Amino acid sequence: MKKFAIGLYVVLTVALLDWAFYQAIYVAPDEQTMHEVQRIFYYHVPSAMVAFLFFAISLAGSICYLAFRRNHADWAQAADAWALAGAEVGVVFCTVVLITGPIWGRRAWGIWWTWDARLTTTLVLWLIYVSYLLLRRFAAGPQMQTLAAVLGIFGALDVPIVYMSNRWWRTQHPAPVFGGGEDSGIKDPAMLAAFGWNVLAWLAWGVLILAMRYYVERQHQRIAAQEAQAALEA
Amino acid sequence: MDQSAILDHQFTVAAYAITWAIQLGYLAWLGLKWRAQKRSAARTERTPR
Repeated sequence: MKKFAIGLYVVLTVALLDWAFYQAIYVAPDEQTMHEVQRIFYYHVPSAMVAFLFFAISLAGSICYLAFRRNHADWAQAADAWALAGAEVGVVFCTVVLITGPIWGRRAWGIWWTWDARLTTTLVLWLIYVSYLLLRRFAAGPQMQTLAAVLGIFGALDVPIVYMSNRWWRTQHPAPVFGGGEDSGIKDPAMLAAFGWNVLAWLAWGVLILAMRYYVERQHQRIAAQEAQAALEA
Repeated sequence: MDQSAILDHQFTVAAYAITWAIQLGYLAWLGLKWRAQKRSAARTERTPR
């Protein structure tokens, strides 16, 4: 039953990604000033939204790890696995944002990159979470998970700064599409539908790989515990 | 199709292709890690204590 449910979820996710791609490329109309290159929006913005959500999961996992590590060891390990999975999959989506953004910017603005507030804070966010992953990969010992949790919390503080950056400061990056005042929002229903489908599709895909990463990390924790037990008994 | 439209198309294709390459690349890496761990788990279970 569990395998059937997972298989069904995978099939639905792939179908959703296909449908979202079709909507973005063939159904949504060309934007008036940027024309076809504006279609990068349908991958760029949903990727940013999913990255933010997964960094929030990493933040929750890190806080729970610090809260449970002394009294509920197994809960703490599960929380740590969620923190790692959220950070790693968040970095994957943030990488997509940092690559598709400059490709779009090159055509729309004539430059690949500029050190404006939105772009710089996003790059800093990516660097913080890459350093989180490097810490987890290369540090050893019982303090590693605690240090990683603290860094995970610190990194998440940048998320609201990234979100608010083009509201607080004048930036090269466009004004917010949603929640940016009276003129914000997508006016064309076909564009709005294509955007909605892509948010849904990339969220479904993200949840799938997040769950996989969590499972792999939990398996890693079990093997490490078994090996430690075997070493003690030897 | 004018030169600008061709460039727009190329940049859009590049962005979409890179997105898929990153996502599928990560999925492949995760799959390899999963497989290696399954083998490692089987080895640990076989090892007599």
